Amino acid sequence: MPLAVSVLGISGSPRRHGNTETLLDAFLEGTKNAGASVEKVVLKELDYTPCQGCNVCHRTGVCIVKDDALPLFDRIFSVDCLAVASPIYSMGITAELKGLIDRAQYIWARKFILKTLYFSHEHIECHKGIFISTAGLSWDNVFDAAFPAITAFFNTLGFEYYDNIIANNMDQYEGIRGHPTALTEASRKGDQVVRVIGDLKGRFGQG
Amino acid sequence: MPVKVLAFAGSPRRHGNSETLLDWVLYTMRQDPEVEVEKVVLVEANINPCRGCNACETLNKCVQRDGMDYLHDRIINADIIILAAPIFCMGVCSQAKALIDRFQVFRSRKYVLRLPIVPPERKGKRLGIFLSTAGQNWDHVFDGAIPSVKCFFHVIEVKDKDIHYLMVNNVDEKGAILKHPTAQREAERLAREVITEVKARLAR
Repeated sequence: MPLAVSVLGISGSPRRHGNTETLLDAFLEGTKNAGASVEKVVLKELDYTPCQGCNVCHRTGVCIVKDDALPLFDRIFSVDCLAVASPIYSMGITAELKGLIDRAQYIWARKFILKTLYFSHEHIECHKGIFISTAGLSWDNVFDAAFPAITAFFNTLGFEYYDNIIANNMDQYEGIRGHPTALTEASRKGDQVVRVIGDLKGRFGQG
Repeated sequence: MPVKVLAFAGSPRRHGNSETLLDWVLYTMRQDPEVEVEKVVLVEANINPCRGCNACETLNKCVQRDGMDYLHDRIINADIIILAAPIFCMGVCSQAKALIDRFQVFRSRKYVLRLPIVPPERKGKRLGIFLSTAGQNWDHVFDGAIPSVKCFFHVIEVKDKDIHYLMVNNVDEKGAILKHPTAQREAERLAREVITEVKARLAR
């Protein structure tokens, strides 16, 4: 019997309802149709500052900056599936999303320096991370420089980097709605990942 | 004519490793009386992220009024532009990414509106330097940063071959770079080379 699956979508675009957020919405719609409980957070509407690089967390495991980023990390830890969305700006993710990713340093410190945080193999397998992105340019390599930061983020948070939902050449298609397959594909992948996680949770007996 | 240098210290941490690397470069450059240096500390420069509104594609200017107003002409007038930024989570820190993304106004000018960034006589005479430090010791730790850095320089008319790099890994805690066996010498040598090169080009 598959268990209930929770999904959190994080939209890192400064532009509301643009190509990337629309692609994220299609993915979330797919997860909802598969029975998941779904939440979406728009980073632009949160109040948080980038990491200050003070390294205090390397000693304490706690971030000294108290703002909206910390409750968001708590929410991330409460879900089974994390979809992180950002358009490509200047060959990388937006400053908004990079700002959040950099703030995960205190979690990284708990894991790798203080060793007070550990994710079991089963935990990582049951927690899936999805990267959702669009780019104006048609280049095949336009997403390449975004992947390392996303990989680091999912790895720090104990999520398996499960899949990418990416669409380039937005300028040519005149937006995501002009793309022949991207939205349907995103929705299908949303449906699919919820079933996969549900089965895994059933197998590992995680509630 | 003096050689104009505009340098960005992109780290949120003041006087940390990447800023120290920058200071070594700038100290050496300042020994030359013909060099004028302006250093901008990004966390004090009031640079908002790009809003992705694309208005610059028609307006040829940014709709945001912030520190970029002060920097815009300085970016165009500089002969040498330096970006110093640490690697956080396999990319440049988000403060530096915000600056890079705000160069969208130059991208729009160059590639959409097809207008010049610098006067024709200054094309091919601008040089760029990217200075970076990373805590991890992996060789590939800078790979995710470089494509964005190239965008930063390309859109302001610094060619790919005219970007110089000095990237030092395995320095994490504040001051770690002071113990690095070669970083300071490499920074000083790079500074001298770039000044010599830019003077030769300006004399042409």
